[in-house]
Amino acid sequence: MPIDLKIVQSTASLARLNLAQGLEPEQAQADLEKLTHELATIVGYIDILGEADTQGVEPLYSPMLEAPGAREDVVINSNTTEEILEQAPDRIGSFFAVPKIL
Amino acid sequence: MSELYKLTLTEAAAKLQAREISASDMVGDCLARIEATEPDIHACLTVMGEEARAEAKALDEKGPDPAKPLWGVPVALKDLFCTKGVKTTAASKMLENFTPTYDAQVVTKLREAGAVIVAKTNLDEFAMGASTGFSAFGPSRNPWNTDKVPGGSSGGAAASVAAYQTPGGFGTDTGGSIRQPASLCGCVGLKPTYGRISRYGVMAFASSLDQPGPMARRVIDCARLLKAVAGPDARDNTASLHPVDDYDAVLPMKVKGMRLGLPKELWEANIDPELDGPLKAALAKLEEAGAELRPITIPNLKYSVATYYILACAEGSTNMARFDGVRYGHRTKDPRDLTELYVASRSEALGPEVRRRILLGTFALSSGYYDAYYKKAARVRRLIRDDYFKALEDCDFLLTPITSVPAWDFSKEHDPLTAYQLDLMTLPVNLAGLPGLSLPVGRGVKEGMPVGIQLVGRHFGESALFSAGLSFEEMFPPLL
Repeated sequence: MPIDLKIVQSTASLARLNLAQGLEPEQAQADLEKLTHELATIVGYIDILGEADTQGVEPLYSPMLEAPGAREDVVINSNTTEEILEQAPDRIGSFFAVPKIL
Repeated sequence: MSELYKLTLTEAAAKLQAREISASDMVGDCLARIEATEPDIHACLTVMGEEARAEAKALDEKGPDPAKPLWGVPVALKDLFCTKGVKTTAASKMLENFTPTYDAQVVTKLREAGAVIVAKTNLDEFAMGASTGFSAFGPSRNPWNTDKVPGGSSGGAAASVAAYQTPGGFGTDTGGSIRQPASLCGCVGLKPTYGRISRYGVMAFASSLDQPGPMARRVIDCARLLKAVAGPDARDNTASLHPVDDYDAVLPMKVKGMRLGLPKELWEANIDPELDGPLKAALAKLEEAGAELRPITIPNLKYSVATYYILACAEGSTNMARFDGVRYGHRTKDPRDLTELYVASRSEALGPEVRRRILLGTFALSSGYYDAYYKKAARVRRLIRDDYFKALEDCDFLLTPITSVPAWDFSKEHDPLTAYQLDLMTLPVNLAGLPGLSLPVGRGVKEGMPVGIQLVGRHFGESALFSAGLSFEEMFPPLL
């Protein structure tokens, strides 16, 4: 699959990244072209996977041979709201605050 | 007694238990050593001087406890392990001012064993990299030659141990991030079996590949550290119930008759002459001692770098999605709306390699490409895993180089694909979930930088790995 500028930009948008953040337009364009070239090279290399015969092979998502199983469903008081909210960039009372949505 | 910092972890633990030295002496000496070497090495992001001294004092007041095998022993921790009340940054601007509200399980277990955490060490941002060059707070330097990289991503922990700042530490290994820096700095490092150590409180890069593990100057020290932290954890369902052995009680395994599988895909790779000689000499020495060197083939190994970078980046991009500027971490100033809050916060605070991997992962998971890349890679992962399991049926261990190049100069920049390909020797072991032990076998031909070798064991075969590691250590004297 060839990677081009358009795909890189649409992927960045999916990932909530602005590749031009804080850059002058010329620099942003140069960086984007370089990044596109790097990603195209990597994906070009990754296309070797197409050669692997995976007919009838199930995907392996975890290397665990056996899972310990679910733990008991009991309430554990692990963190206080206040401690966690202390790390929040902005808060109102016991809520995280963000810019107005509506 | 002077120069306590030179003691190995096991020596220090014994002297501490015997009250020959106090925890305050030991911790104080290591802190002094940190202060003396940091200007050259920059292994640490946070030195916990005050906390460590207070903990050591508290330990001394109670006295040594045989039930605490690491009583008074100073350790370094990669700054990816959450430490309650102590800044944990993942070497990212995103978490520059983040202070966790809880301890990682490794931290809890280390403290239960009596260890004193003295420093949070440098890494590539969110463990994505192989040199610490992607740390947002500047790279660490290799104590053997400060013009060279210490490796990564757990490069700070390796440099700390190699600079005698601490007798041991913990890193994490997703594709070689413990074994490669250990090797480049002349230390011993273990990537345990996936699930051997709880990942609770370890900031996630690729959850199906990440595994914490010990680094030290001796094999037995790594065994002690592993024993202290291994085992199940209700808060990490991937932490295995498999029994924890007395790893530190193992004896050296007989080299005579040891069946060592040598994957030809790795040994026939383009290995730098600086390493090639010492590695071949090590093989000859092993053969002379009666080891059976068996050339083997791992047919699907050629797909491992491609498989790994799809899966690791897919999981990594998913894990990085939590950094949205809302609940913790960096938030941009005065965003116009919620979308800009997400986008600008992430784009301002995430570095180039993290972004590159987020893009690769997002691409591999996006509609239209998911089957061709992500699912395909997961299928190939099974083939690679099966190859490794099969190879280990007829061999006691696999023996491979750790890297094809020695520690490189800071001035040398690898393009991203070349950098990824340098992980070839280590990352298949993560794909298979197996344990890998990295230990030194010599020094480079011209530049004299440490040369490491990797023993790969069976699933939960850590005891056997340590046992073989002890014999290797007898044949190949430690470099530190």
